[in-house]
Amino acid sequence: MILSWQFILMIVLSSLFLAWFLYRPVKSSLSDDDSNIAINKQRQAELEIDFNQGHIESAQYQEAESEIISTLASELKSSPAKNTTIEPFKWLILIALSIGILSLLVYSQLAPKIIPNTDAALTEPMTMSESIEQLEDYLIENPNDFQALKMLGLAQVGIGKIDDSIESFESAFELNPNDIDLLLQYASAIAAKQDGMFYGKSKTLIETALSLDPQSIQVLYFAGIVSAHQSDLDEAIGYWQKALYLMPENHPDRNIIEEALNTVLNLQVK
Amino acid sequence: MLIEIGHFSLVLALIFSVLLMVLPSIGLYQNKSSLAQLAKPLVWAQGFWIAIAFIVLMNAFLTNDFSVKYVADNSNTQLPLLFKASAVWGAHEGSLLLWVFVLSIWTISVSIFSKRIPSDLLNQILIILGAVSFGFLLFLLFTSNPFERLLIPPLEGRELNPLLQDFGLAVHPPMLYMGYVGLAVPFAFVLAALIRGQLDSTWLRWTRPWALISWAFLTVGITLGSWWAYYELGWGGWWFWDPVENASFMPWLVATALVHSLSVSEKRGAFRQWTVLLAIGGFSLSLLGTFLVRSGVLTSVHAFATDPTRGLFILLFLFIVIGGSLVLFTWRSHLLQKSNQFALLSRETGLLINNILLITAMFTVLLGTLYPLILDTLNLGKISVGAPYFNAVFVPIMLPGVLALAIFPFVRWKKDSVSRLTSLLRFNWIGIALLTILARVVITDNIYVLIAIGLFIWVAFHVIILLTKRIRTKSKFSFAFIGMIIAHLGIAVFVLGATVTTQLGIEKDIKMNVGESQNIAGYDFIFNGVSPHMKDNYSGFIGDISVYSGGNKIAQLNPEKRYYQSGMPMTEASIDPSLVRDLYVALGEGLEGGAWSVRIYYKPLVRWIWLGGLMIALGAFFAAIDRRYFVRAKS
Repeated sequence: MILSWQFILMIVLSSLFLAWFLYRPVKSSLSDDDSNIAINKQRQAELEIDFNQGHIESAQYQEAESEIISTLASELKSSPAKNTTIEPFKWLILIALSIGILSLLVYSQLAPKIIPNTDAALTEPMTMSESIEQLEDYLIENPNDFQALKMLGLAQVGIGKIDDSIESFESAFELNPNDIDLLLQYASAIAAKQDGMFYGKSKTLIETALSLDPQSIQVLYFAGIVSAHQSDLDEAIGYWQKALYLMPENHPDRNIIEEALNTVLNLQVK
Repeated sequence: MLIEIGHFSLVLALIFSVLLMVLPSIGLYQNKSSLAQLAKPLVWAQGFWIAIAFIVLMNAFLTNDFSVKYVADNSNTQLPLLFKASAVWGAHEGSLLLWVFVLSIWTISVSIFSKRIPSDLLNQILIILGAVSFGFLLFLLFTSNPFERLLIPPLEGRELNPLLQDFGLAVHPPMLYMGYVGLAVPFAFVLAALIRGQLDSTWLRWTRPWALISWAFLTVGITLGSWWAYYELGWGGWWFWDPVENASFMPWLVATALVHSLSVSEKRGAFRQWTVLLAIGGFSLSLLGTFLVRSGVLTSVHAFATDPTRGLFILLFLFIVIGGSLVLFTWRSHLLQKSNQFALLSRETGLLINNILLITAMFTVLLGTLYPLILDTLNLGKISVGAPYFNAVFVPIMLPGVLALAIFPFVRWKKDSVSRLTSLLRFNWIGIALLTILARVVITDNIYVLIAIGLFIWVAFHVIILLTKRIRTKSKFSFAFIGMIIAHLGIAVFVLGATVTTQLGIEKDIKMNVGESQNIAGYDFIFNGVSPHMKDNYSGFIGDISVYSGGNKIAQLNPEKRYYQSGMPMTEASIDPSLVRDLYVALGEGLEGGAWSVRIYYKPLVRWIWLGGLMIALGAFFAAIDRRYFVRAKS
């Protein structure tokens, strides 16, 4: 749980704000009777205007007037109960404690166990190994965190631990088999074990990704690679051309696909 | 740290909602005024922390803070500033925060603008609103936290749904939520009166302006949604009977019945039980809409989430609200039984007819919306209930309502006679019949359009007579009267626009080669070709179509076909608008030889649909600022 001075300040400010109203003298307030009398008087005035302008006849006017009077009579209550004074200090302490304890308790239940400190990250970037350690620690407490498992797999690929990464991706895959990004990373990790070739499970994963999102640029790129590895150059060209068509002109990955496309086109020419 | 402050602000708002339920309640029931009068400051403090949370999330979007999962999922650096701001409510978590924020705005407004309400009643109302707010804050914090962080922030975010990358997202949801959430206010008034057992003139008087304002916002929200769908979805429709549209339309129908029922209860002390049920029903339906949108039972552009936990939470909340309210209603129903009498022909009867028709219409929409879902849930097969059912059932129910809305403002409260009415209006009825026959000769022989024209003339004529009568008797023009006139005219304008555009509109889906011309409704559309087009957040093609009428060029239309970063294709229609007709063009697919499939629509009077909606809302705003709502009682 994070207990920072900002939170304490927020709790103190909230309590002080309420303290001001607790110590403020009680304002005289409008009663139900006052309000009902005013409203029924106004209704009577409206009725008179309607009568004077000929919108209603005399008999109806009399009936409506007696209805207003009887309504008011039925609505009037006996005198209001007497006000009881309170000890503001006692209540203030109670309120301040409630705000402080309850808010911190609820927040401790809701707040994430690990929060990235962006300032620290900027000055002292973590090494990949440190990231892996931190993620592994986190996953001990949260073994079903899909994002963390995916991140761990990525980090393991980063330091060459391909077998470990496949294991992490597999765990993530069991939690969510429809995440496009995971499918691509998982397929790439398996392909890395197969000398960069996409066949078997890696090919199936790419095909699944393609069926889930046939318009994704990344999926199209990988689908092109799979086709190229199967020597289906026309299909590879088709996928990459579609990816380029969908890509904005200034997309940073554009040249990668263009390069791949040119290579295949050259192969075809030869 | 800012994100954590936003998150903690929401937690503080939750704690304040608990205090709001507890402290003023102790004050009210133990006669400790110092505690009871804490209701207002608690509302303000709660609203303040919700506003801080909202600003923090907005800031995260504007500064591309992708360490926040919600921001990373729904925004990226290429998104224009306006869309970054409106992306805050572009998905489930943020839209729920907007919901809570809007509720706090309503609650603060009630606390500020209710100086004329007895303080005990006001405090009780604020307690109820605090309880509603507690339910939603709990839901937000425990199932839909918008401040969830990512362990490793991505360098670039994903994409806001391309359909939502539009000005419509900036205005439609906030307005709709103002209406939806606003229905919590009449609900709170009713519940406060039921709890106190004080179902008097005060409660009836002060519920109406709030019901009117929330109804007006709901009308504006639905109207804006219809307008947005019309120009954004690329096929020229303005209402689709989509289940989520229906989810906002049902509370609107009930709120319409409520504002009319309240006018009878307020003026004549009748229909009080009915009014209470309508106020409960209106808010319950707005909760039902929330359930439908966020539980995953529906698939729609509006459906935010597919998380059953969320659905279960709202369903539970819905049961507590409806169940609790009905128990209270049963407990206090003996206090609501006194009702002033009225004759068969009276204005009260007219408003009763209005209510019966509106509620019947609401139930038909409810049936059409829920029936497929119930069948699906019970594994009894999948069926689709669409426009043919709704049009066939809804229109005939509402037709007599439009006829009645013109006549009953002439009928006297309590009792009137047929002879007085006919002697007053018979010559006008002859005039209306003659004008409708003239329309048959001069304008069209389409029976539906003739009925719509007849209804329009019917309402407009009666409004003119009503105005002349008031001027002749030198009566005062109250805001309530002006509001009623504008809103009723709005209905007529809407009916005419909707019927004419549906019946006389022309639609063509054609292949066009460069230089080719097509004549539709007397307009020549010349296709000049298509060129590549690019913006920060999308790339695509832009078409060039010139429109000529009588040899003169009257418009240059540039429909677009866009591809967003996710690859999702979007059609951006180009419209030449006018009050008389819209010329609407949308690009389809590129075909061989530079040809394109193009959809061209001629939409007569389509703008009248939204003009009518805005007139209804304006009328409601006028009625809400009537002089009688500013009466000051002396203590």
